[in-house]
Amino acid sequence: MTGKTRGLNGGLGIVSRRKFVAGASALALGAGVAPFISRRAMAAGEVKVLNWQGYGTDEKWALEIFKKATGLDVVHDYYNSESEMITKLQTNPGTYDVIVTNSAWNDRASDLGVIQPIDTAQISHYGDLNPAFRDSPLLEADGKVYGVSWVWGITAIGYSTEVFKEAPKSLETLWDAKLAKRVSLRDDAIEAVSFGAIATGQDMNHPKDLAKVKEKLLALKPNIAMLWSSEDEWNKSFQAKTFDISVYWSGSALRSKNNFKLPVGFVVPEEGAVGWFDGLAIGKDAPNAEGAHKFIDFMIDPTFYVEWATKIGAPASANNAAMAAMPEGDDKTLYSDQAAIKRLQFMAPLTDEERQAYSDLWTEVKTEFAK
Amino acid sequence: MKRLLDGGIRFYLVLVLVFLYLPILVMALFAFNKSPLYALPFEFDLVWFRALAENDKLLKAGLNSLLIALANTVIATSFGTMAAVAFGRYAFRGKTLLQALLFPPIAIPWLVIGTAMLVFFFWTARAMGVPGMARGLHAILLGHVALSLPYVIFVVGARLNDYPKVLEEAAATLGATPWQVFRRVSVPILAPGVVAAALFAFAVSFDQFVISYFLAPPGVTTLPVEIYTSIRKGFTPEINAISTIIIAVSMGLMLIVARFYRFGGERSGNE
Amino acid sequence: MTPTTRTRWAILTLTGPAYLWLACTIFLPLLAMLALSFLDKSPLVPKPASFTLDNYGAYFSKGFYWPLTLWSIQLGFWVTFFCLLIGYPAAYALAKRIKGRWREAIFLLIVLPFWSNALVRIFSWTMVLRSNGIVDMSVQAMFPGAPSIDLLYSYPAVIIGLTHSYLPYMILTCYIALQAIDDSLMEAGRSLGATAFTTFRRVVLPLSLPGIISGAALIFVPVIGSFMEPRILGGTKGATLGMNIEEQFTVTANWPLGSALSFILLAIVLIIFGILYPFLRKQGGEA
Repeated sequence: MTGKTRGLNGGLGIVSRRKFVAGASALALGAGVAPFISRRAMAAGEVKVLNWQGYGTDEKWALEIFKKATGLDVVHDYYNSESEMITKLQTNPGTYDVIVTNSAWNDRASDLGVIQPIDTAQISHYGDLNPAFRDSPLLEADGKVYGVSWVWGITAIGYSTEVFKEAPKSLETLWDAKLAKRVSLRDDAIEAVSFGAIATGQDMNHPKDLAKVKEKLLALKPNIAMLWSSEDEWNKSFQAKTFDISVYWSGSALRSKNNFKLPVGFVVPEEGAVGWFDGLAIGKDAPNAEGAHKFIDFMIDPTFYVEWATKIGAPASANNAAMAAMPEGDDKTLYSDQAAIKRLQFMAPLTDEERQAYSDLWTEVKTEFAK
Repeated sequence: MKRLLDGGIRFYLVLVLVFLYLPILVMALFAFNKSPLYALPFEFDLVWFRALAENDKLLKAGLNSLLIALANTVIATSFGTMAAVAFGRYAFRGKTLLQALLFPPIAIPWLVIGTAMLVFFFWTARAMGVPGMARGLHAILLGHVALSLPYVIFVVGARLNDYPKVLEEAAATLGATPWQVFRRVSVPILAPGVVAAALFAFAVSFDQFVISYFLAPPGVTTLPVEIYTSIRKGFTPEINAISTIIIAVSMGLMLIVARFYRFGGERSGNE
Repeated sequence: MTPTTRTRWAILTLTGPAYLWLACTIFLPLLAMLALSFLDKSPLVPKPASFTLDNYGAYFSKGFYWPLTLWSIQLGFWVTFFCLLIGYPAAYALAKRIKGRWREAIFLLIVLPFWSNALVRIFSWTMVLRSNGIVDMSVQAMFPGAPSIDLLYSYPAVIIGLTHSYLPYMILTCYIALQAIDDSLMEAGRSLGATAFTTFRRVVLPLSLPGIISGAALIFVPVIGSFMEPRILGGTKGATLGMNIEEQFTVTANWPLGSALSFILLAIVLIIFGILYPFLRKQGGEA
């Protein structure tokens, strides 16, 4: 939100303060529920976005450009997990215009009827999108498009170039007995099981032999130094030399190297790694569907992407034209390494039962780690 | 001997304060450190304060948090103190049950309570035909006060197990009006507990993430929401800068209050 | 009005606002959660849900819940113990040995660190505890050549972080209780020939017990449900039940299981306090 947007919903603008006082006094009177309704029908002038914080859509400079071009303000609400994103959508019908969804969650959202079909004719850059992502069945339901592919990335191995003179080739390096207490994983059930499955040569999304995955992960116990849960924690611990090698995200690895000048290398091991892509969806009964289309178009615009990727650091764009417009550099090298991309397995939707099984497995492994 | 003992006691209190302030000092230190990665060695720079001055999103979030916390403190402290007085002054059936009911709000993880509240408010508002009412600053305040109340009741209650009803009655018998009894007898007894409870109520609200995360409408945010939702990417020392300013200003205000106002509960014969 | 009806009205007026508020915003939603813990599906899934005991059964059939529960309770006891150990003497000193303006000032200074964000505080602790962190560097400066100290990602780190977070509760509840004790009572004990220790044990301790109980409740109860501090400070050593509960809401979207686990946690808390309370009351001599 910028300083100029002190409109009706502008953060703690004049109205919300008055709203607040009204609410407080109504409550003080013991009314229990405040006798007013949040005025959020400011549809025409606003686009409401639901996303992770600090993930492209809330870059201040970009929103200023968007405002200049369309006259629309962009306001944000954030989620901390995909499951909470779904909860927010379900309990706030008709509130959000644009939602950033992991492609593996898109069909759950469309099944639950919390997002609506997108009119791709209104999106001028749609034709430039990489067909591999654009036409993915994950973004479609009953013949309609429910998501516009936005960015994609790799979850693979980040390592210290000071410790490893050569990039480690195999995922097995994580299990190397020489690396006792030098390895880190993300504290995430799905990701841990995915790597366990890849290391045991199984389908990453639906491994048949979960016992084998568990055994493999348990064997990592002597090597595990810590479990990280945010990019920030990763950087700080890496910098403090808590670990030498870890599962990591591609976009973050580039940021660590280029923005924070850390000696980080990033490699897709020969056994493969995790690929993922995020889409942009439009909320069911979005108050400003027209603005939502405009904002999506702006988000996949090469001009925005190149600025975002070069200044801040971003995952790869799903827009071919945007990737072509990128200057030569680490990003371009990494994301155009066709041999590495072929080794990726992309995240697929999981059933509730699978999620539960993976979560239980990971808790069991962590319980053993803690002993 | 007594001198030595008193010196030792003061030294011990200083040690406890050092322990309490150690991470706060570290927090402040890194607000003035140049590295975005909180790296040492220390390199003095005001870059994060300058960044904060331009970050009106964070500043607004801070202001929202402050206003909610203040309103929360007033409401929760008043209602909580009243309940604590009832528990201290009267023996009645159901008292133990009412006290036991204070456990769920602190025992059940806040994420669970927050989710329960979100869904419940959503259903209630929908049933009433005003779905928009489930979220907003009023809803956040509803939740914060509810979470603060058990803390207030416990803290004020720490003093009232032995409520000197006799004193109040004596004062009343001697012709004091109910207001005089309240002002001259009850308030001094309650004061330290109420002040402590208010300080905690403020802290509970000021650092409460889940409720605001679920119940704030898009575009409205609080400081904890800004901090916790940046967890995936990580926050910059701007957060340290704003926290340092808040702590420094509060400390200044508090010391002024401590200078001019007595609430520590001096009893006759104590001095 | 008869005195009894007047008393009844007074109780109702005093407790009414707080409990009405709690009922509307916490008890009713939690009752819904309790009901949900007996269903096989989340309420927002558009499929009919049916009654089941499986969520509670899962707690007993899955082997990892028991160690997690045990660790959480252990953590609760350790943190409460250290808070009492550090906090009670501090409260005593503040209530009985410090007079005048300093008392108010220290009183306020004890709570103030709480007005900062918990996550920021924990990250500050990581800076203090890690190797090449502040503890390590100070030790190295004082004793050159001493072995490097790396406390981060260990069980003690979790205890230190949590004790820090909850210590003010113990200090202030004990202070409030201790301060209410009339000094003349203590003098009377001593003039009757009791030793300082006997006076403390027979007079001061029982009278300050409400403060200890309040403090312990405000520390033990949230600590056994904690997950953020153990995760960030404990590395792999900080597994707790709270973490698994969180996961049922963020990863598996299994609200029924998450609620069932929360209510098991609540039951454990109530049982522990149910066992300890009569014992504590007896010690307190029905003060």
